[in-house]
Amino acid sequence: MAYRRAALVGLVILALALPFLFSASRFYAFILGVTYLYILWSSGMNLLSGFTGLMPLMYAGLAGVGAYTTVNLVMKFGVSFWLAMPAGALAAALVGVVLGLPSLRLRGFYFTLSGLVIQTALTMLFVYIPQFTGGDTGISQIPPPLISLPGDRSFPLAGVWLEEALAVAALLTVYVVHRVTQSTLGKYLVAIREDDLLTEALGIGVTRYRVLAFFISSLFAGVGGAFYAHYVGFVSPRSFDVLTSLNIWLIVGFGGQGTILGPIVGAVILAPIPYLMQEFYLYKDIVYGSLIVFTTIFLPRGVYGSLLFHRRTRTSARGKSEAARS
Amino acid sequence: MTPEGMLLNGLAVITTGLIVGAIFSLVAAGVTIMYGTIWFPNASNGQFFILAALLMWSLVANWGLSPFLAAVVVIAGSIPFSLILEKFLVRPFYNVPNRNIVYFIMTLGLAQIFAGAFTCTYGRWSDQYSLPATWPGVIMLGPFPFPRTRLLVLLIALILLAGLFAFLRLHRIGRALRAVFQNREAAILRGVDVRRIYRFSFVLAMLIITTGGVLFALAYAFDLTMAWNMAIIAFAIMIVGGPGSVLGSVVIGMIFGFTQAAVSLFASPTLAAFSYLIVMLIILLVKPSGLFAR
Repeated sequence: MAYRRAALVGLVILALALPFLFSASRFYAFILGVTYLYILWSSGMNLLSGFTGLMPLMYAGLAGVGAYTTVNLVMKFGVSFWLAMPAGALAAALVGVVLGLPSLRLRGFYFTLSGLVIQTALTMLFVYIPQFTGGDTGISQIPPPLISLPGDRSFPLAGVWLEEALAVAALLTVYVVHRVTQSTLGKYLVAIREDDLLTEALGIGVTRYRVLAFFISSLFAGVGGAFYAHYVGFVSPRSFDVLTSLNIWLIVGFGGQGTILGPIVGAVILAPIPYLMQEFYLYKDIVYGSLIVFTTIFLPRGVYGSLLFHRRTRTSARGKSEAARS
Repeated sequence: MTPEGMLLNGLAVITTGLIVGAIFSLVAAGVTIMYGTIWFPNASNGQFFILAALLMWSLVANWGLSPFLAAVVVIAGSIPFSLILEKFLVRPFYNVPNRNIVYFIMTLGLAQIFAGAFTCTYGRWSDQYSLPATWPGVIMLGPFPFPRTRLLVLLIALILLAGLFAFLRLHRIGRALRAVFQNREAAILRGVDVRRIYRFSFVLAMLIITTGGVLFALAYAFDLTMAWNMAIIAFAIMIVGGPGSVLGSVVIGMIFGFTQAAVSLFASPTLAAFSYLIVMLIILLVKPSGLFAR
């Protein structure tokens, strides 16, 4: 246990130190920031797709709801980012709860399909309300979050400090998701994933916990969307289309569905790819698409999930052989 | 609007609705056969559709092949292509219990691959693709002109749909295929080789989707965004009509085709797509087995 705790503390320190180590190059620091964003998003999605067994293909759309709400509050009404971001997250969470309602009736493929439908409709909606979204051209020159100091002074949170904020947000998300999965709620969610009818029969309110899972997961979608908009400085409906949802799912699936570290592993490996092969930006979809096909065929448990699985089967095999000897 | 203008518009809606509806029906029939037998919800059907159309464009507009020869090449080429896909992507999952969701994610990935590949090949060559008219000129239906090529496409599509129906009702293999739709276990007990039916229905469905793409390329100009729209529309038709029901996909496909024609004329195509999505969502929530399910 002490070993694991030390590893955990080391990981947290590493996550907080990396922005400073990368600060010499704006380019690599930006890739790091985007990786943190994807850790946040994929951990949030994992709560639904991995732990509750519902694949939310409208996740990027929810992130868009959070992003557009925040950006409009900040740029049109002059609200501070630190107030607008929770408002955006709440908006995403509420929309997520409403759009998650099909999950009460639909299972498996049909739910996933309804997610695809909702995501497509949301993307169309974003294009069709240009007064809030800037339409197809999008919104550019979104200012970085401001930090106000006492005495009417304020400075923009930019560069390495914004990456630091993203690191904190990502770590907090992972921590919250971890706590949720350790709690009774998390156990109920896994029970719902494994057999919702049986869970219902045991007197556990499946509906209530599903809705709750949607609320928490969409909250993170919104937080990520708000940070994305103010970090990248530009959003368009394409930033939140079905391919983004698929990419976030790929990170979860490639890392390991239903594990805490899986999304981190996935994001660290996959999120930098489109930036590192900059001149091949066009081939990004081919690479990600191939990875989706590869993951579904050869890595259904994901990288980290397979690691856990092999370790578990090895220890249980050893336990069995020892029991047989004694 | 003048009465003549209204009449012309009305006629345009009817003809476009018929052609587009017939092509929608074909593609949706392919998708519904795949889903009904194999449980393979093909999210990349739109990409296969547009692949066929793009190949037609390459062969006819760039290589100067005759459209009929090109159509034969593309449609015949879909058979080895779908056999390879079946072997490597579809067959490995036949024993997985919840395979439809695995397939769905996988074909979404496949769609992303194709979309990426098209943008960095065809996307660089052109924005819109149109073939020269196969059979130039118009036929006068009373006072109204009707392009000959489109009439030909409509006739071929309707004949193919009729042929598909006849095949599924009358032919031995077609009946076996429907038996698998309706009751897999009973079909096995009656001596149907389910694996072979799976492979056959995958190839048949891909053949139908490819033909849909070829016919669309002959009748209309198209662009790359068609792929995603077609995928969504085919799914909408399948869900509303009832997965596995070819009759449902034809009836709903025709209705959607007319909706597309009417709404595109008076409002915008996006509104039509939006209305399909809403209808699909309602049907999913109210009656997931679709309107024509037995």
